[in-house]
Amino acid sequence: MTAKGMVVESLGEPTPGAGHAGDRLISVVVPVVERTDDLVALYQAFAAELGRLGEAFEFVFVFDGGFTPSPELTTLSEQDRHIHLLRFAQRFGETAALRLGVDRSRGEVILTLPAYFQVQPEGLGPLLQAVDNGADLAVAYRSPRRDSWLNRVQTRAFHQIIGGLSDQRFHDMACGARAMHRRIAENLPLYGDMHRFIPAIALREGFRVTEVPVAQHPNDIRTRVYGPGVYLRRLLDIATFFFLAKFTEKPLRFFGLIGSIFLGVGSLISLALLVDKIAGEAIANRPLLLFGVLLIALGVQLIGLGLVGEIIVHLRAPHRRAYRVREQV
Amino acid sequence: MSHPSTQRGAVSDPVLSVVAPLYNESENVRPLVEWILQALAEYPRPFEIILVDDGSRDDTWAQVHSAAADPRVRGLRLGRNAGQTAAMMAGFDHARGTVVVSLDGDLQNDPRDIPALLAKLDEGYDLVCGWRQRRQDKFLLRKVPSWVANRIIRRLTGVPITDNGCSLKAYRRELLDRLSLYAEQHRFIPALSASVGARITEMPVRHHARRFGESKYGISRTVKVLVDLLTLKMITTFRSRPLIGFAMVSVVALLVALLFGVMWAIAWTQFGPEKARALVFPGAGLLWLGTAFYLIMLGLVAEVALRNERESASTIPHAWEVVR
Repeated sequence: MTAKGMVVESLGEPTPGAGHAGDRLISVVVPVVERTDDLVALYQAFAAELGRLGEAFEFVFVFDGGFTPSPELTTLSEQDRHIHLLRFAQRFGETAALRLGVDRSRGEVILTLPAYFQVQPEGLGPLLQAVDNGADLAVAYRSPRRDSWLNRVQTRAFHQIIGGLSDQRFHDMACGARAMHRRIAENLPLYGDMHRFIPAIALREGFRVTEVPVAQHPNDIRTRVYGPGVYLRRLLDIATFFFLAKFTEKPLRFFGLIGSIFLGVGSLISLALLVDKIAGEAIANRPLLLFGVLLIALGVQLIGLGLVGEIIVHLRAPHRRAYRVREQV
Repeated sequence: MSHPSTQRGAVSDPVLSVVAPLYNESENVRPLVEWILQALAEYPRPFEIILVDDGSRDDTWAQVHSAAADPRVRGLRLGRNAGQTAAMMAGFDHARGTVVVSLDGDLQNDPRDIPALLAKLDEGYDLVCGWRQRRQDKFLLRKVPSWVANRIIRRLTGVPITDNGCSLKAYRRELLDRLSLYAEQHRFIPALSASVGARITEMPVRHHARRFGESKYGISRTVKVLVDLLTLKMITTFRSRPLIGFAMVSVVALLVALLFGVMWAIAWTQFGPEKARALVFPGAGLLWLGTAFYLIMLGLVAEVALRNERESASTIPHAWEVVR
C-alpha cells in the first residue's frame, strides 16, 4: 500500500553498493507548468551533464493542461529512448505533475527540474552526491543569488515566515531542482500547491533534508513581478501550511483557542451589562447586548467546528502514525 | 500493523516487551537498561527491551546503539522529535510480546515493579496502571496540576484511576491493537482503553527523583490538557453517535433562543409594540436559533465523516471477547 500517510517501516542507511554511478537509474521529472524555456536545449544540457557523471537516466516531461510539447521535442523523443512525454488533459498544477512524473518513472533516484534554466547543469553532481551521502532529500539553493532586490526581499520574507515554523531554516524552497530517493518521493504527502513547501514538509515527516548550493543560471536572473492575486494565494498557502504543521492532530487547540476568546469577551460584555441592569439601567435596547450574544454564539460554533475536526482526526488515527522510524538496531 | 522481520541475533518470539521512550536522556540509557535487566533476571520467559529515541539532540542514539549489543535490547530512532505519545506508539507497533510494559526513560519509574504489574495483569486485566507513591517531583509545578487534572479526568470519564500520568503501565497485546494513540493522548490511556472495553486496574508503584537530565514538562501544558479533555469527552462518549452530542448543545441554544423570545413577548404586552420594536431581544433570539441550527448541521457533518470511515472498515466494534 502506498496510501498517503503510510509508514515506511525502516528507512535505514542507503544500501551499500547502490549509489555508485552507473548501476542505478536516475529519473528526471520535469513538470512543465508555468514558465518554459526551450525544452530540447534544456534536455541536451542536463542529459550531457548526467552522461558526463556516468549516470543512467531517463527524462519524464509532464505537460500541464494548456502546454504542448514542441514538434522538435516530439521528434527527439521518437529517436531518443531516454525521453518520455506525458500530458494532462486539464490544468492540474505542479504538485499533480510531480506526482504523475514520479508515478510513471522507474528510477531509484528522482531528480526534479524546473522546465527552464534555473540552475546550472553542473549543480546536478553535488545534488546527487548529497543523496549518496545519506540525505533523504537534497534541495538546491541558488547561490550566489543575483535577483533584483525586490525579489530578494520577497524570498527572504517568505523563508523567514516558514523558518519560524520548522526546525531547520531553508534558503530557497522555490528552487525546483531536488534529488531524492524514490521511497521519499512516493511518501511525501503532497496535494494542492504544497510543492512550494517540499523541503519543510519532508522535514516534518522525519526525513533528512540537505541544502546544496548550486550556481544560478543566467536565464533565471530577472525581476519577477506578480499580481496581487498571486500574493493572496501565497499568503493562503502559508496559512494552510502553518495550520497543518501545528494543528493537524489537534484541530480543537486552534478552534478552541479562538472560540474561547470569543466566548470570554462575549461573557465579559454580558456580565458588564448585567451589572448595569442590577444598577437599574435599561439594557434591552443597547446594541452592545447583541454584540455580547453574538460573540458567545460564535464561540460555541467555533468550538463545535473544532470538535468535528477532532472526530475526523480520531477516525483516521488507526490508519496514520505521527512518527517515522529512521533507524533500527 | 506489520511487524518488522526478526533481526539476526535478537531474541526470538519474546513474550514480554518493555518499551521506554527517550528524549535527550543519554546519561540515563545505560543505567535504565541495566536496571531493567536486573529487575527481569528472574523472569522465566523471553523478553525484549525496546528503546525509542524520539529525535534526541544529544547522543542518546549512540547510547541506545551500544546498549543494543545485548540481543534482548532493540533500538528505534525516530526521524524527528514526534512527542511522547508517538514515541510510545512506535514502541508498541514494534513490540512483539503478548504483554507490553511501558515506562519513562528518566529512571523515575522503578523496573522492580514490573513483575508485580505482570502478576496483576494475569489476574484478568487488559491494563494495569502504576500509581506513584510518594511522588518525587516539584510540588507546585508538577504535583498540584497533576492532582487537579486527575480529579477532572476521573469525574469526566468515570474511569476510577488515581494517577493517569504515570508511564509505568502493563498492557495486553489485544488492547494495544485496539488503541491508536495520537497527539498527546498518553495522559488519557486509561479512559481511552475503557472506551474500547478494556478491564482496567491500578496498583501502587515506587517513584524516584530525577538523577540525570531535565524534566521536559512545565506548567504551560495545563491549558492544553483542558482542551484535550473536551476532545476526550467527545470521542469517548459520542464516538458512535456524534450527532447526539451536538444535538444536546443545540437544545440548550434553542432554549436560550426561546428565553429571548419570551422576554420579547413580555416586553411587547407590557410596553406596547412601539417600544418593543426598539429592543434587541429578537436579534439575540435569532442568533441563538441560528446557532442551534448550525450545531445540528455540524453534528450531521460528523456523522458523514463517521459513516465514510466505518464503511471502509469493519462495522463490528472492536471491543468484544469470547466469554465461554
